[in-house]
Amino acid sequence: MTTVQEPTDAPARAYEIEAGLVRLRAGKCPQCGALFCPTRLVCGGCGHRGLDELLLAPRGTVYTFTQVHQSTPEFAAPYFLAYVDFPEQVRVMLPALGDEAPRIGEAVEVVMAPGPRIVEGELEMSPHAQTVAASATTRRSSNG
Amino acid sequence: MDDVYVLGVGMTPFGKHAERTAAELGAAALLEALDDAGLTLGDIEAAWVGSVFQGMAMGQRALGEGGLSGIPITNVENACSSGSTAIWDGAMSIRAGVYDVVLALGVEHLTGQFRGAFTPDESDVEAQRGLTMPSVYAMRAQRHFAQYGTTPKQLAAIAAKNKRNAVANPLAQFKKAVTVEEVLASRMIADPLHLQECAPVSDGAAAVVLVSKKKRDALGGSRAIRLAASVLKSGRSEVGLPDMTVEDLTGRAAEEAYASAGIGPDEVRFAEVHDCFSIAEALRVEGLGLFPHGEYPGRVVKGEADLDGRLPVNGSGGLLGKGHPLGATGVAQVVEVVRQLRGEAGARQIHGAKVGLAHCRGGKAQGVEGTACTVNILTV
Repeated sequence: MTTVQEPTDAPARAYEIEAGLVRLRAGKCPQCGALFCPTRLVCGGCGHRGLDELLLAPRGTVYTFTQVHQSTPEFAAPYFLAYVDFPEQVRVMLPALGDEAPRIGEAVEVVMAPGPRIVEGELEMSPHAQTVAASATTRRSSNG
Repeated sequence: MDDVYVLGVGMTPFGKHAERTAAELGAAALLEALDDAGLTLGDIEAAWVGSVFQGMAMGQRALGEGGLSGIPITNVENACSSGSTAIWDGAMSIRAGVYDVVLALGVEHLTGQFRGAFTPDESDVEAQRGLTMPSVYAMRAQRHFAQYGTTPKQLAAIAAKNKRNAVANPLAQFKKAVTVEEVLASRMIADPLHLQECAPVSDGAAAVVLVSKKKRDALGGSRAIRLAASVLKSGRSEVGLPDMTVEDLTGRAAEEAYASAGIGPDEVRFAEVHDCFSIAEALRVEGLGLFPHGEYPGRVVKGEADLDGRLPVNGSGGLLGKGHPLGATGVAQVVEVVRQLRGEAGARQIHGAKVGLAHCRGGKAQGVEGTACTVNILTV
């Protein structure tokens, strides 16, 4: 029987940046193949103890979205949220960038951007979903 | 296994109670339920008390204020289903033959503590990224729109119906009907949900006295209503890419409740369901099998869920109209079903009803479909 690893005080970062691509850190069950993002100690599908680390593809598809109009002490509205389906068959909620709401079925890329969370008066840098067409434009302009 | 009956019910007005503490609200509901049951404090053998944000030992504080102490008191926190989980706990103890008379109380005083949107626990990674409770349901509504052609106007009709029903409920927080247009003109909270489509912040308490069949027979309690099924389930771990318009949690709780009561969804005459948001009512009744999947909002527009419709939903006003003091909500739903089945619902009476259902489902926890869901089926 394998033992459960104790969680550490400093949890692993939620993402890695590889060759400029933002990849979310997930866990994959070595027994049943279920994916969890973020990872967890025990597989919620089959109960297997200990998941393998996996970095998700940097792109996914918008499953659904909203625009939040109500600020809280920690979050500056308005901002978009989207549930993004990744090709590994796992769904992750991310804030979304852009002037317009993301569309269901639209391809998005994970990018680092500020907000909506306010930490010590600043918008925190975090992974966001950005439409693939828009991010291509941004990259061109930042390169230029 | 002994049958369980609701012998007494009590409920404070829901709304803003600036001058009353949570303990005073809870005590008031307790005493009303006791009087309604024709029992005294000494008859209560054990109590379960649901609340969410009230701090340590809410049960002992409320029941102590009401003169009830010394018996086993268990505090229950199960998000919005805390009160209905207290009922489930109490019913279990009677079914198991441990007690003959127990109390389930739900109490919450929120207006002094909260404004704006609720958020999941701060350890929730989605909450850290900006998820609020309204935005969870807003995103489910967007899927309902995309998959079934549901419209903002149809969702607004759910809110308008419940606010209209609340006008006939003297205990409701909202006293004024609103039109579909007024709902759509109210401030956007999380697209497509407007302010009038979100349950308010409320204070209140509700209580039920549960008794065994033996006790009911001994008392000759003709006003007792049978708790034909009381089911609690929690959300399963989410694996893969589930359809967010489908409530697996509600469906599993309902399936067991129907089987336990020996009653099918086609026999349910009316329902009180957890309409924390307009879209939530649709997801609940569709998950309960009371309306075909994807069709509920359109059928509300046709009047099918009105008090005089095919299957009245949230005749009390629901959470949207009556108010939503979290811990009290699930108990208040059962109080309403009992009053309807006794014929004591006044201007909102549904005539001739023999079977009513109460559904409560709340909260959010990382990685699971929902926190807790109860389905209670009551029969005359």
